[in-house]
Amino acid sequence: MKDIVRMILSVVAVFVLYTLLAKISVSFLLVVNLFSLIVIYFALEKGEIYGACLGAFCGLLQDSFSMSVFGVAGIAKTITGFLAGYFSGKINITPIRRNAIFLFVLLSVELFIWAVLYSFIFSEKVNTRGGLIFFQPLITAVLGSLAFRFIREPRKSKM
Amino acid sequence: MPFSLKKATNLIVLLSLILFQLILISIQVPMGDESNYLEKVVFSVFSPIKHGAVSTFQGISSIWKNYFGLHKAQKDNQRLREEVFRLSQENNLLRNMFRTHKTEKEMLDLLHDLEVSVLPARVIGMDASNFWKSLVINKGSLDGVKKDMVVLDAHGHLVGRVVDPVTFKQARVQMITDTDSGVHVIPQGKDIPGIINGVGNGFCSLEFILATDTDVAEGDRLITTGKDGIYLPGVLAGYVDSIGGNITLFKKIKVIPAFKLESLDLLAIITVDVNEFF
Repeated sequence: MKDIVRMILSVVAVFVLYTLLAKISVSFLLVVNLFSLIVIYFALEKGEIYGACLGAFCGLLQDSFSMSVFGVAGIAKTITGFLAGYFSGKINITPIRRNAIFLFVLLSVELFIWAVLYSFIFSEKVNTRGGLIFFQPLITAVLGSLAFRFIREPRKSKM
Repeated sequence: MPFSLKKATNLIVLLSLILFQLILISIQVPMGDESNYLEKVVFSVFSPIKHGAVSTFQGISSIWKNYFGLHKAQKDNQRLREEVFRLSQENNLLRNMFRTHKTEKEMLDLLHDLEVSVLPARVIGMDASNFWKSLVINKGSLDGVKKDMVVLDAHGHLVGRVVDPVTFKQARVQMITDTDSGVHVIPQGKDIPGIINGVGNGFCSLEFILATDTDVAEGDRLITTGKDGIYLPGVLAGYVDSIGGNITLFKKIKVIPAFKLESLDLLAIITVDVNEFF
């Protein structure tokens, strides 16, 4: 129960941050994928099922605020959350560089799945805004690995 | 074999979630641009949070800007700006009406309706899948916003129309640059009707202009006609950017929308029913 509450609060916090970033500049929405970070974070902590469920919820939340088909981002994030939880059990991703690479690969996979589904359903090219969207996995991975480190360090020292 | 069982369970959960979302996608096909119930619920629950976050952000920004002694002056300034905004929108509408209504009496009859026809709204969210598709505004059904109401920017240029979902205090706006959008227009001063369609990358195309038609030129201002039954007439929608494709039946005409995405903040919702009004 405590975990569920923590997850809900985290999603709300990310949603607020996401709204404020968009208010500052819409380009932030393209280069930073905050929802995916929260999905991956909980997938790493709690496993693939939590990751997939939270991925589905965050994706649908993102879809509900866009004209995109409801479910496209949901599927991409569900798979991302599941993969994050599954592979984190197989590979040691604690070192920051490895963590950043792991995030980069997952976020690239998510972007690829989303772009394929989007192009297939809408029969139109993804608006990359001059290629800016391709920086999303890299920038999000760097920010994510730094954030994960800052969150985990105090926890370790408490133990 | 508890490990295999766990793996199988995990896989079943994953597949169920994907299947559920595929079903969601497939049921939207016959619904067109109408949102399904689940989408409306998620939108309704989270849009007040969005509204609250933006209001708080703007509140904090304005405290910073107002800075003690300038507080009153800033307030008056804000009020006057909104008044100027409202009047400029009203002026645009009146100019458009002059073209469609001939007698003074008709003008006076409609003047009263016009006074309450412009509802200012702010952009509180952009479409993450494609900025040129839609945006979310901070006015909803409690403010009188309804589906298909026309939305203009601060300069009176066409932005789009209100679409589903419309909640109590928020609504979604489909922009004219969305690929599913269509606006009936004519180049200003020329009687050559066409349809502006969004192409999804920030530009639009002007469709159904015959290749033999030589009157459309680069730089032409494209004005709404109101014949689509949604958008009010006489509003500037965009400019002709380039013309090509003379080898096919219709010309390929690229259009730049008149509104600027980066400066979209204060919008005007036209609350009158276009069909009754004009």
